[in-house]
Amino acid sequence: MGAEAVRVLVVDDSPVDRRVVELLLRAHCGGGGGAAAGEAAPFHVTAVDSGKKAMELLGRRRGDRDHLTPSSPAAAAAANDQAIDIVLTDYCMPEMTGYDLLKAIKALGSPNPIPVVVMSSENEPQRISRCLTAGAEDFILKPLKMNDVQRLRKCSGATRPKSAVAGDDDRCCNTAKKAAAAAAATPEQQQQQQRSSHLAGLAMVMNASSFEVSHYFQLIFKLILLAYAVLCLSQLLHRWSNGSSLLSLWCA
Amino acid sequence: MAAAALRDQLTALLSSMFSQGLVDEQFQQLQMLQDEGGTPGFVSEVVTLFCDDADRIINEIATLLEQPVVNFDKVDAYVHQLKGSSASVGAQKVKFTCMQFRQFCQDKSRDGCLMALAVVRNDFYDLRNKFQTMLQLEQQIQAYDPKQQ
Repeated sequence: MGAEAVRVLVVDDSPVDRRVVELLLRAHCGGGGGAAAGEAAPFHVTAVDSGKKAMELLGRRRGDRDHLTPSSPAAAAAANDQAIDIVLTDYCMPEMTGYDLLKAIKALGSPNPIPVVVMSSENEPQRISRCLTAGAEDFILKPLKMNDVQRLRKCSGATRPKSAVAGDDDRCCNTAKKAAAAAAATPEQQQQQQRSSHLAGLAMVMNASSFEVSHYFQLIFKLILLAYAVLCLSQLLHRWSNGSSLLSLWCA
Repeated sequence: MAAAALRDQLTALLSSMFSQGLVDEQFQQLQMLQDEGGTPGFVSEVVTLFCDDADRIINEIATLLEQPVVNFDKVDAYVHQLKGSSASVGAQKVKFTCMQFRQFCQDKSRDGCLMALAVVRNDFYDLRNKFQTMLQLEQQIQAYDPKQQ
């Protein structure tokens, strides 16, 4: 798989924080790559200073796709280029807080919702759970550290299987899309687009469920093994304390 | 030779800032990222951003506290911003004084806030002086570098 850049939209009202986050993200692909150079995709950072601007950016993208796609494939490509893989937003911002932004993004109702990670300098459990229940992928405490970037990468990776599993589908659709555009068959194109997003969603769900099932299976297996071991041990101790010989153990 | 001496001076300044608690691990991390990540001039950029931002915020707070009726929520919001910025840069001492400042805001004590503002200002000016010395040293070292190569 080629190292496709992860497009991050950073939303923070503090200029200092914006720059620091940008550097952390940039450095993570440059210096942090190292051994896993092939795996670590670089981050492509776009930074804005308010939730409003973030929504404008995301909204414009959607608008482009909704209105311009049928008329010009070039505009569609441009809109695709501007797409955002993950939003990293500050919680405490004037006017529109990170929580408001999170809800607004989730309310966009796109078939493939953009993952949102909220960061805050305050470690308030209430705030954290509020954001997580509203659909935030993760909650990171400020100031950001290098391993937080790793977490962010994982969150953006939650949608990555889309490109990993359904990547070929996507690519097929892309070429098909272009052909369709050339033939000026707009309804077909839209259908295809819908189908591709549907496929991607399905792949995501399957991936998530299989991961969880295998995870739980392992846990249950370990628990059963542990219970069995405890049972055996207690039996053994019981017999030994009764003073019977080891042989009787086997006879029983 | 002179470049090496300057570099020693810079290292001494940075370690004294760290041992005095002016800056913390976050600042060291930024410095490390700059050196390893191949982004020269990053720390100076962030430090300059921080100094401008903090200066602006401190002035805003001062004007707010001069009002006949002080809006403590607004003051608190500004102090929170300053705290966030200093945490991101790793300006530990300013961050701590901001935390105390916020307590006075919550108590809605004007005198307490004025006192805290004086402390924050003092800590910030102290740090800014050190940062400026640091930036000057870095510039001097950079001016030497091409000649050596």
